[in-house]
Amino acid sequence: MSLLSVTGVTKRFGGITANKGISFEVQPGELVGIIGPNGAGKSTLFEIISGFYPPDEGEVRLDGARLTGLSPDVVCRRGVARTFQKLRPFPGMTALDNVMVGALTRTKDVRHAREQAREILARVGLGEKIEAHGRTLSTGQRKRLELARALATQPRVLLLDEVTAGVDQRTIPGLVQLVRDLHAGGLTLLVIEHNMRVITAMAPRIVALYLGEVIADGTPDVVTHDRRVVEAYLGQAYTQ
Amino acid sequence: MRAIAPALVFFAVAGLAPLVVRDAFLLDGLILILMWGAAGAAWNIAGGYAGQVSLGHSAFFGLGAYAAALCGTRWQLSPWIGLLIGALVATATGFIIGYLSNRLRGPYFVLATIAFSQVLLIGASRWRGFTAGSEGIPVPFRPGFWTLGIADKRVWVWIVLTLAVLVYLVQLYLERSRRGYQLAAVREDEDAALSLGVPARRLKVAAIAVSAALTAACGALWAQYVGFVDPVYVFSVDLSVRFSLAAILGGLGTALGPFLGSVLVTTVETYLRARFGGIGAGLVGIYLILYGCALIVMVRFAPQGLVGWIGDRRRHRTAARATP
Repeated sequence: MSLLSVTGVTKRFGGITANKGISFEVQPGELVGIIGPNGAGKSTLFEIISGFYPPDEGEVRLDGARLTGLSPDVVCRRGVARTFQKLRPFPGMTALDNVMVGALTRTKDVRHAREQAREILARVGLGEKIEAHGRTLSTGQRKRLELARALATQPRVLLLDEVTAGVDQRTIPGLVQLVRDLHAGGLTLLVIEHNMRVITAMAPRIVALYLGEVIADGTPDVVTHDRRVVEAYLGQAYTQ
Repeated sequence: MRAIAPALVFFAVAGLAPLVVRDAFLLDGLILILMWGAAGAAWNIAGGYAGQVSLGHSAFFGLGAYAAALCGTRWQLSPWIGLLIGALVATATGFIIGYLSNRLRGPYFVLATIAFSQVLLIGASRWRGFTAGSEGIPVPFRPGFWTLGIADKRVWVWIVLTLAVLVYLVQLYLERSRRGYQLAAVREDEDAALSLGVPARRLKVAAIAVSAALTAACGALWAQYVGFVDPVYVFSVDLSVRFSLAAILGGLGTALGPFLGSVLVTTVETYLRARFGGIGAGLVGIYLILYGCALIVMVRFAPQGLVGWIGDRRRHRTAARATP
């Protein structure tokens, strides 16, 4: 049975249909990349899965149980965590406190949460920065912090929105490796990424969205050679 | 232990002062410092820790004051029961305001809280049959602890100090507990907190309700201490500003801050009233101008409040010593 299933999800904003009957399944332990040009509906889909937007039609299920209709905090407690495309660490709190907030969703013991947060920060490569405040970290470090915070909630599925966006080229490989390590550790991941090279190197399976619809779903090789995907990204001139 | 040492000193000095000080004027000043400090700290739970800035907290203070006064005059009940009833009514009202905070954010929430206190002011002024209207209620003095008819100001210091310590402990809980961390996350970024599984709405409402109950307790004691409840005063925006000012000057979201802020605000105000008070004095309201100036200076130079400012100084000095 699939761990996460998205069935016929449709979302309209006024006259714009951001998601149009989107359906796909994610198996336990899979790493699925979501690609698509700007405005394809990737972020909207994440907002719907994580409970921030209600869909107009369709539903999302985790392990067979309905997530649609639950508030975002409940969705997280059920086991779906997310990061934000526009980073939002708690700016006035230290990195440790940031991650502790995530850990405290699973444990009531503050001391235990602090230990867990320390471990997770070390795991994402921020072991030296535990006392740094959210606002003093670089973009790459903040990405890691967001990841750590979400991991601390012990998710069954982790949604990553644009892991490599806005960080400089030298930082990208480290972040990609981190995501790969998480996947190798057995975590199920859904990763939005606009950088084609990054996603094909990272995800064994890719779902391509265009104008709110799924236009391709398969291995990187199949998806990147799909006629509609190439058209969507580059325009018709390149498909000859 | 080191973190709460200043607070221990502060409360110990306040608690021991009545053993030495006999002067009624000074004891009255101390009671007011503790009273406005406790109210500021209660405000801080919602405004500082939960980030729900309200300028209508006099609504809760007034509810507490009226509950105590009405229990005494109408039903011959102990003001302690009045305090309890006031706290319960304020909690219920806090839930309503808390619900509003989930609908309205930023300035709209502030405006709603002001409106709320003004509605209560009008209600209390017009409902003559029950509240005695705008004339206010003189609280009868019936000697005894159970009836809170206490003439000895030293005892009042200890009573108000107990409440102050209680509110301080609630704040301390919010700094160290799981709920405290979660509330801080909600204050910093509500959506991010939600995404991490924090029940943001429930926490905000609970913080406002607790803040309301403690503010009402302050109101109830104040009514008994002063012996008179006047709707125009207890529901005034002035009073709401005083609570928030003590917390903002002292340090938003710090446990000792509101008490330090209260020392500043209360002493300056008492001094200015005594200095420029009296009939025909044109400068009676000067403390309000000073409030405004103090707020501007603080926001410009020490937005973290006194506690944050002192902490910064200390860190600078340690850093200076570390680098020869």
